[in-house]
Amino acid sequence: MNARTALRLGCLAGAAALVLTACSGGAGTGGEDSSDPITIGISLPLTGDFSEPGKGVQRGYEAWAAAVNSSGGLLGRQVELRILDDQSNADRVVADYEQLIAQDQVDLVFGPFSTRLVVPSARVAQEYGMLFVEPAGAAAEVFEQGFDNLFYAAPAVANDHYNHLADAILAMPEGERPRTAAYAAMDDPFAQGTAYGLKEKLEAAGIQTVVDEVYPPNTTDFSSIAAQIADSQADVVVGGTQYQDAVNLIVALRQLGYQPKLAAFSTAPTSSEFAEAIGGATEGIVAPTGYTPEAPYPSNVEFVQRFTAQFGTPPGEDEANAYTTGQVVAAAVEAVGCAEQGECQQRLIDWLRTNTVETVVGPLSWDAQGRPQSAHLIQQYVDGRIRIVLPAEAAEAGFTYPKAPW
Amino acid sequence: MSGSLLVQGLVLGILLGGLYALLAAGLTLYFGVMRVVMIAHAAFLVLAAYLAWDANVRFGVDPLASLIVTVPLFFAVGVGFQRLLIARLRPATVTMMSVLLTFAVALVIEGMLGFVYTGTQRRVQLSYGAASFELFGAQVAVVKLIAFGLAALSLLALYLLLTRTRFGQALRATIQHPQAARLIGIDTDKVAGYGFGLGLATAAVGGAALSLDSTIYPSLHWHWIGPLMAIIVVGGLGSIPGAAVAAMLLGIVQSLLQLPLGTTWAQTVFYLALFVTLLVRPQGFFGGRLAQRF
Repeated sequence: MNARTALRLGCLAGAAALVLTACSGGAGTGGEDSSDPITIGISLPLTGDFSEPGKGVQRGYEAWAAAVNSSGGLLGRQVELRILDDQSNADRVVADYEQLIAQDQVDLVFGPFSTRLVVPSARVAQEYGMLFVEPAGAAAEVFEQGFDNLFYAAPAVANDHYNHLADAILAMPEGERPRTAAYAAMDDPFAQGTAYGLKEKLEAAGIQTVVDEVYPPNTTDFSSIAAQIADSQADVVVGGTQYQDAVNLIVALRQLGYQPKLAAFSTAPTSSEFAEAIGGATEGIVAPTGYTPEAPYPSNVEFVQRFTAQFGTPPGEDEANAYTTGQVVAAAVEAVGCAEQGECQQRLIDWLRTNTVETVVGPLSWDAQGRPQSAHLIQQYVDGRIRIVLPAEAAEAGFTYPKAPW
Repeated sequence: MSGSLLVQGLVLGILLGGLYALLAAGLTLYFGVMRVVMIAHAAFLVLAAYLAWDANVRFGVDPLASLIVTVPLFFAVGVGFQRLLIARLRPATVTMMSVLLTFAVALVIEGMLGFVYTGTQRRVQLSYGAASFELFGAQVAVVKLIAFGLAALSLLALYLLLTRTRFGQALRATIQHPQAARLIGIDTDKVAGYGFGLGLATAAVGGAALSLDSTIYPSLHWHWIGPLMAIIVVGGLGSIPGAAVAAMLLGIVQSLLQLPLGTTWAQTVFYLALFVTLLVRPQGFFGGRLAQRF
């Protein structure tokens, strides 16, 4: 592009911005033109503590916008993302959404990353009556704040991650079913939530809890916890884990010669370094996962292809949940037929309360507090590769129980 | 709680105590010789663990082979560290200023580790990583036993060095009374440098032992320095046998307390022991005249 065209485009953009502010400065909803882009306001932690996942979410949102725009936009209008950096700071995130909604008059908002930022920003969105779909914030407290505009765009809250596994265990014939279970969970609402969700269901079915240990996040020596689990000879071991704790616990359990029939750990097994870290003894280890590029849902196949072409790597969970957020809002906008501030937002909220949306993480629907009503896929290491084994309709391989010795 | 679990807990406690003992010995040595509170000791420990891991990944050698390089290297770094940095601190405020100085060094090491090796958590791959054998009904992991053996050997070597050699006598004389040591012709500055190097060399050995059975990451050292500081106070600042005994005791107590109380409460044993020591016997349970002066 030569300098004159650039100048001309710049003038055009400037003029457009002026017109836009002039129009929306008045009644807010007046003067909508079908050729105007739909602006979407987002604040993300692009720097600071959450910058890594924050950038992942940004990639997901951008992939979604590119996909929508290349297929004709929303309601025939292009979408335009307005992304601000909140520096992982809860005060900044509030100011950012205030600015996006009140001053910039964006048509829609998408959520930021992490519980700590989701809660304050959802409050701002609620004050303005905006629909608030968010890609992160699975902890229980998010749904206990009385938000009526919030929807979590992922398959399940922490306590429901293992639901498919619980169903599979309870479906076993009485004689084969495990009788005892040992739980070790990090003192962290998310990690603990996953293990305790499964614990509740197994206890209700009469599977006895023989060990129930909670350890602080900085624990590095797991030999005593492993000794208790090994001593109990529990049929099932469940770890509410993040990463290094799962690795250290598994090695410690193996050193004590403990062989469970089922070993389930959250988060760590889906990490690419996991197999190497525990010396390849992964066979049969089970983990819940909110997203995998292999998931067979129709829109996911397209998403993975597009994303890989755009960014060079397959999407991860943060990217997928951001993309899902876009899909959820888009589904509501297409169904209701509006995308602007004002009473349109309440119609979008009402529509999502009662409908199911097809997304890259499967069909999603929500309860009144915005908790998604699905469960995570269950993956298991089969022949050295982590494969989806549950639920049966999404499975790539059969669920193995009891697992091979490690 | 079953008897076998108790035996298992005891065995694990002894193995853990051995590693604590080696690391605490180095830490107490700095204080004994130099009145230096060495916050960076655990950071050097993690640095040595990273070097052992790196040697294993890069050259495929056993992490223990890295000791051939790291022990002399750390000794030299220790001597240089003492001569070039610690010796410049004003004698009157050396204890307090050394906290600041070594705290900064710990941060530098942590930052460099993160920069060079990234924050990814690493673990050495060993064919015998999960191997174990039975002893009195308890499972003893081979890697933990090797780490324990390494610690025991190093402590024995340190003990022999301090009690049977002229250098050891000079070092102990410097610990007991620097002025008197100078009067009888000991070059206390030189001895102090070597003493510091010796302390850092224990971190090299400890790091290799640690790398056998731990997932390592740059900020890991913060989890080690607290308990180690508590151990050397309980044992009596500057007393190597005191540090070793306190380390072994606290390691065993921690390991056994984890069974009824859980991990969260068991780790408070170090700080509880620290409070009790300061209330009842501030000079530590094994510290001699030296510790009483502080």
